[in-house]
Amino acid sequence: MRQLEKLLRRLPARGFGYSTASGGWRSTVGLELHVQLLAKQKLFSAASAKWNDGPNTNVYMVDASIPGSLPRLNPHCVQLAARAILGLKGQVQPVSSFDRKHYFYLDQPLGYQITQQFFPIGKGGFIELGQAEGLGYSKKVHIHQLQLEQDTAKSIHDVYPGHVLADLNRAGVGLIEIVTRPDIETAEEAAQFVRKMQVLLRHIGVSNCNMEDGSMRCDVNVSVYRDGNDRLSGTRCELKNLNSLKVIRSAIDAEVSRQVGLLTAGKEVEQETRGFDARSGTTFLTRSKEAAPDYRYMPDPDIPEVHISRNWVEEVQRTLPELPEMTRERLKKQYNLTKEDIETMINEPGCVSFFEQLATTRDPKRVASWVTSEVFGQLSYRAQRLADSPLTVAQLGELLDSLANNAITSAQAKQLLIEFMDGETRSTAELIKAYGWKVLDDDSLIRQIAKDILDKHPKEVSGYLKGQARRLNFLIGKTMQATKGQARPQDVSRIVKELLESASAD
Amino acid sequence: MSLSRIPRRLVHHRCCLTTHSNSPPTVDSALETISQRNPSLNAFVTSRVPAELAETAVADGPLKGWPVGIKANIATVSNSDTDVTSCGSHALQSYKSPFQATVVDALERAGAVVMGKTNMDEFGMGSKNTYSIYGPARNPHTSESQDKDSCQIYDCSPGGSSGGSAAAVASNMCRAALGSDTGGSVRLPAAWCGIVGFKPSYGRISRYGLVPYGSSLDTVGIMARSVQDVQQVFQAVSRPDTRDMTCMTESLRSRINTGSQSRPWAARLLSQNNIEAEKPLAGIRIGIPRECWVEELSASALDAWKQGAERLSALGCEIVAVSLPHLPNALPAYYTLALAEASSNLARYDGVRYGLRKEPGNRGPKELGASRKYAETRSQGLGAEVQRRILLGTYVMSDAACRHFYLPSQRIRRVIQTEFDSVFALPNALSSEAFEKTLLDWASGGRSAGVDALLFPTATDTAPPLLEGREENTAASYVNDVMTVPANLAGIPAISVPVGHKDRMPIGLQLAAQYGDDELLLQIARYLGA
Repeated sequence: MRQLEKLLRRLPARGFGYSTASGGWRSTVGLELHVQLLAKQKLFSAASAKWNDGPNTNVYMVDASIPGSLPRLNPHCVQLAARAILGLKGQVQPVSSFDRKHYFYLDQPLGYQITQQFFPIGKGGFIELGQAEGLGYSKKVHIHQLQLEQDTAKSIHDVYPGHVLADLNRAGVGLIEIVTRPDIETAEEAAQFVRKMQVLLRHIGVSNCNMEDGSMRCDVNVSVYRDGNDRLSGTRCELKNLNSLKVIRSAIDAEVSRQVGLLTAGKEVEQETRGFDARSGTTFLTRSKEAAPDYRYMPDPDIPEVHISRNWVEEVQRTLPELPEMTRERLKKQYNLTKEDIETMINEPGCVSFFEQLATTRDPKRVASWVTSEVFGQLSYRAQRLADSPLTVAQLGELLDSLANNAITSAQAKQLLIEFMDGETRSTAELIKAYGWKVLDDDSLIRQIAKDILDKHPKEVSGYLKGQARRLNFLIGKTMQATKGQARPQDVSRIVKELLESASAD
Repeated sequence: MSLSRIPRRLVHHRCCLTTHSNSPPTVDSALETISQRNPSLNAFVTSRVPAELAETAVADGPLKGWPVGIKANIATVSNSDTDVTSCGSHALQSYKSPFQATVVDALERAGAVVMGKTNMDEFGMGSKNTYSIYGPARNPHTSESQDKDSCQIYDCSPGGSSGGSAAAVASNMCRAALGSDTGGSVRLPAAWCGIVGFKPSYGRISRYGLVPYGSSLDTVGIMARSVQDVQQVFQAVSRPDTRDMTCMTESLRSRINTGSQSRPWAARLLSQNNIEAEKPLAGIRIGIPRECWVEELSASALDAWKQGAERLSALGCEIVAVSLPHLPNALPAYYTLALAEASSNLARYDGVRYGLRKEPGNRGPKELGASRKYAETRSQGLGAEVQRRILLGTYVMSDAACRHFYLPSQRIRRVIQTEFDSVFALPNALSSEAFEKTLLDWASGGRSAGVDALLFPTATDTAPPLLEGREENTAASYVNDVMTVPANLAGIPAISVPVGHKDRMPIGLQLAAQYGDDELLLQIARYLGA
């Protein structure tokens, strides 16, 4: 509460220029993010958490609610949740427990979801938004709580007409739900918060956070209030299943203007659950307050309290990688990289470490440029993640060294990179030998080849001499070709120019 | 199925067969007894045939060749098509479990032979074994005042919900049986059928494979004709199990063991020679809880209680009165918590993955969609008493009622646990600090105040007659559990031992001890029986 009051006092001084709402109205937003954990097994069963395998193949007794089966907490999920709350600079709770949230639905085999309503594993923490996110100010969005819970099964409609199919693979996969305080004030802040959360959770290996495939899902609470009033005074509506940053932005804007519209027309905002229709750009009613279900939360008697020692928390903290904020600062300071290169690398899991292993003994700028343009170019062409690529630090290192030593040309280097990323396992040295590549650095030999080319193309030579500068590239290209790419382009260029100059002097 | 379908001749036949043979049943004798007596007692609802039993390999263990019965809510796996885990419910009438309960695995590893599944109140909800799709099980004991012509009128309830297990053991259809005890479902039928019924501490026996009723109260229980037989079964099945997170771990077990056996009389009690001693129970303090002296207690139950106390006193026990002031609140708190958990645990019987599924036809508004299917399936699959309890449980958990029922009941449960802790000499091992401190005190010769066990009746009266077709007063029937629910709320071990008869109907007395003190409770119980 004290933090809220502080925030309230700060408000007038900050100006209203960035507010989503206009005309004296402002908005208050809180988020609930559901994030699938990168655990191999489910939260309460040893079944594989790969929910996109063949339907109903990853299902153990408890996932199908077989009578007499019991849940068994997967310690890896607890560890991932602890990583997440520590990454957000919040606190792992020494005692947490699980509760049952009841409702009947095909996607809920037990008739309830196991979640942490009363004593969540994580509390506190924040994400700071500012310059880096393109905001003209900086602010902290605080985390209210972080809880472990089960994902639901998938119900599939319209495959067999008249039937609904259930795939229990996803039933019981571990999720964390992250609930923010209502600190967010605009749609843009909400979107930037989600983006920054994705970067963080990927970076510390908690989740893939892909909104497209549902490994991150977002619900938003929106209310509006008049300038000068309590910012929590408005009635809030919940927007469910917003599945991209763009949709989050548009849905909040649409909902704010709907609520402002109602209030300025003298009507009231009803507390309800709404969806977003991207085609019309408006929100629509999905459930009114009267229809809100009573979940009958109850402590789950099958799962004892989770007691976590300080030592265990310290151990998790120790294994946490450097957080993105600090990595950014360090990369800039230590290697003087551009902001773009830093962002590109931070957003790709494993890339910063890949880069740093290469950069310790090499020119960092050069390494960064190879990684972010050549390697990423290939990754995006292949729609592949760096972590899944066969390319190793050792391979790229030798490649860059060979290039720096002029043992290969950059064209050859690029060809080798492609081969490495195709799965080539031989070393650069072996490949150079196998291809019979040798850099041609004998000036007299190059001069001989270039002379031949000039003799064979008198028209181009005379054209150049008459001032047609473009003829030069043609002659250089032909000479390069004749050296079978073994000469360095800069050498060929220098020698061709020298020959042409001497020809003009003749 | 109703009582009238059982020929009167068989009922009469049974009346002549009440003599007990003293040698424990073998698989062969059990088969013979089942074929003779089960048609009238309705104790086993599925049983294995001799050919099938002949194929079963019997492990060489301490229970080698023991015929045992398994309550119908404990999962078993066999080749038999009739081996269902029905829980006495229409919803699971033909449900075959894909896995076997840890406790049944343990029994089979020790050499026991599963004879079949026993009758019960649907999902454990009842105390007379009358709410069963198989019809009621019957008490092998029949009332003395009957004459030949009115025999069937005095058929008595075996008690519930583990009525089938109790009747089977009492009539020698098996040597021991497993039951489940959520609020007395093992101890009450044991008392009414004149056998021993043991509810161990919560977490002693794995619940993996026990179909839940109220998970925080559910305990697998053991029934046999003697305390020694119960002990042998208990030793075979009381094991840690990683598949049940609420099952006691090895380290907790050994910590409790150390504490429990550090009392000066413990080693003597555990030694075989003790039985011949003149005062074998010297040094043990037994508490008589004042609050168990309730209005509903019959004169015969009260007499049995007094005689039990005198007997223990004669054997060397010190008898003291103790007070557990919140015990009168136990029954309402128990029903609130048990039914709340039941409404949650039984939510899974929706007909989607297993069990009965019913189509709604044209009933109910179409826009309700799948809800109509759930409603139809559950209305037809679950019996009236189960539906009543689910509805009550749903209500006490609802937003509006939670504050008035569920939360206060949780508080009462904690208070009752604390009160039990305060009367026992052995501290509760779950509060580690107090536990370690007391052990240090004892090591330096200190003797803490407090009792080693409590003695009180199992039931207010003997088994009531089975009366078909008469509407029961539900609230009154819940009162049957008044003596048994406190042990479930506190998670402590309790055992009912037969101590006498009234009009040929058995009377049981209960002993309860501190959480985890199961071994020594069983030792003391050996001396209580008549």
